[in-house]
Amino acid sequence: MAVDQTIDRCRELIAEPLGVIAERWKESHPGGRVAACFPVWSPAELIHAGGMLPLGLLGGGATVELTHADARFQSFVCSISKSTLELGFQGLLKGVDGLVFSNICDVARNLSSIYKRNFPHFHVDYLHLPQNSTSAGVADYTAEELRRVARGFESAFGVKITEDSIGKSVELYNAIRARLRALYAFRIAEPQKLSTVELYLILRALTQADPEESLIRLDELLAELPGREGRPKDRIRVVIEGAFCEQPPLGLLEVLEEAGCYVVEDDLLLGWRWFTSDVPVNADPFRALGQSYVDRAVPSSTRHEGREHRSKGLIEKVRRSRADAVIFTPPKFCEPALFDYVPMKQGLEREAIPHLLVEFEEKMWTFERTRNEVETFVESMLFD
Amino acid sequence: MADWREGCVVGVDIGSTTTKAVAFSKEGYLKGPLMPTGAVPEKAGRAAVEGLATVAGIPFEAIQFTVATGYGRLLASASGFADKVISEISCHATGAFYLNPRTRLIVDIGGQDSKGIGLTAAGVVENFVMNDKCAAGTGRFLEEMAELLGYELDEIGEVSLRSESPCEISSTCTVFAETEVHALTTARKRPEDILAGLHKAVAKRVAAMVKALGVREEAVFTGGVSKNRGVVKWLEERLGMAFTPLPDDPQYAGALGAAVLGFRLRQ
Repeated sequence: MAVDQTIDRCRELIAEPLGVIAERWKESHPGGRVAACFPVWSPAELIHAGGMLPLGLLGGGATVELTHADARFQSFVCSISKSTLELGFQGLLKGVDGLVFSNICDVARNLSSIYKRNFPHFHVDYLHLPQNSTSAGVADYTAEELRRVARGFESAFGVKITEDSIGKSVELYNAIRARLRALYAFRIAEPQKLSTVELYLILRALTQADPEESLIRLDELLAELPGREGRPKDRIRVVIEGAFCEQPPLGLLEVLEEAGCYVVEDDLLLGWRWFTSDVPVNADPFRALGQSYVDRAVPSSTRHEGREHRSKGLIEKVRRSRADAVIFTPPKFCEPALFDYVPMKQGLEREAIPHLLVEFEEKMWTFERTRNEVETFVESMLFD
Repeated sequence: MADWREGCVVGVDIGSTTTKAVAFSKEGYLKGPLMPTGAVPEKAGRAAVEGLATVAGIPFEAIQFTVATGYGRLLASASGFADKVISEISCHATGAFYLNPRTRLIVDIGGQDSKGIGLTAAGVVENFVMNDKCAAGTGRFLEEMAELLGYELDEIGEVSLRSESPCEISSTCTVFAETEVHALTTARKRPEDILAGLHKAVAKRVAAMVKALGVREEAVFTGGVSKNRGVVKWLEERLGMAFTPLPDDPQYAGALGAAVLGFRLRQ
């Protein structure tokens, strides 16, 4: 399949309600179960190892009108939490059997309970990820927590999650993540041939598709992309940081590029490409995943990294991608992103790396103010 | 006339309320007539450039390079008469710096938004801040309030300066402020006191935003609202400094900046 066709297919796929995707998969997998994961980190291997389809539970975007969730959440709660709850009330998750949430912030923590209370037909689990990643017992703790989540699926759906099946799933997802790393490296090298909107569509489609088929498509893309046409433009290279949970509208990503940026690194859908290298496949895959959650982790605002300054990972990302600047893109009301904004901003200023703050929310549809700000930011660097 | 035709670059600032055009060449610059933007921004942009061409004595077709800025800039480019678009912040900064090279801070309040722009000693944008998506702290807010009180927009600044006891307006939200104005008129408060309160509320909001950039001298005030002496007075009071008057119409700073940047790009 040609690159443009694949990207068009990705665009169509992510526009479909999650329940429709789940029902379609079940038609070809009779008796199969589907479990969706709220950002950030998604234990897709566990779900896949049980013969289930792992999907991303990524909110309702701009198309789902909030008619129930606003009555249950305060006005200062982020959009993705509200619209994710709305998906349940509007029956848009029909076909999805299980939901996994984790403790990335207080709102996500409570969303899990709200789902349990309002929708008892779902199997809802809450993954207690370790807050202290420097403790000696953290890998064992995470492994045990993953075992508990696996037992929960077994008990709820009658599936079997064995060490052998997890090993195979780890191998599959290692292969997918390796391809994603290659795509990211390609964009760093030739951003004119793969826009961030396109890369995001590919990435997001992976969270809505059968992983075996995704791997085939990724290989095709990687083979075809180098031959794609793309003339370099006079743009600045930027890293975007902050949209790791709530999904930015495509229009926002388009405006960043139209306003004169090549986005060469980002933290979009970070949880689906969490491990920076392959998770070892050994006798205890639960522990391998637990250990990797800690020591193969991408820097993230949802994971405490001990005494390491939060800006360190960001500055490394800037250097590695040869970026000129950082555009912070936190969603409105996102506490993890906004808390980290200050130390990251301070770190960038010490290194004289220019930065800009652009807040967004998933229902945003007009981007003229953002365009104005980003154009000015770009011009201030190009005209300097 | 021949000098203007040779290498002259036009900047057109298509704002939400008014459209302005300036021609710039090595000989200096020339302003065109101020035009209302209306419902079709690109049409207003073209009309402003045609008006400028008439003033300058240049056939419209002889203009070789036009830079558009302001909220209608993309439409001007799409309709084919602008060769390049540049953001209004860069253009206001360049225009103000051209008029006064000691400028380090610009406060710009237009019809739909308000901005603070910090400049380096070389006149490059160092940092900037804009109001959020509501009309609070903009010319539109004052326009709504003028209409509510039965005044013309261009007279409310002078009227507000007659106040000896400004009313307290707690909100700059246009809707909530309207409610407060109704309550004040019902309480028989004098129009100049209500207007003074409204102007103070705008100044308070814009000053808070500008202070986030760091107040620095020399500061200039651009945009349509800079002609309102009431806002100028209370903004200066809030910022604790006086604006340096620009040697030419501050409403044209954006168009001038667009022309200057276009001229540099062509060199």
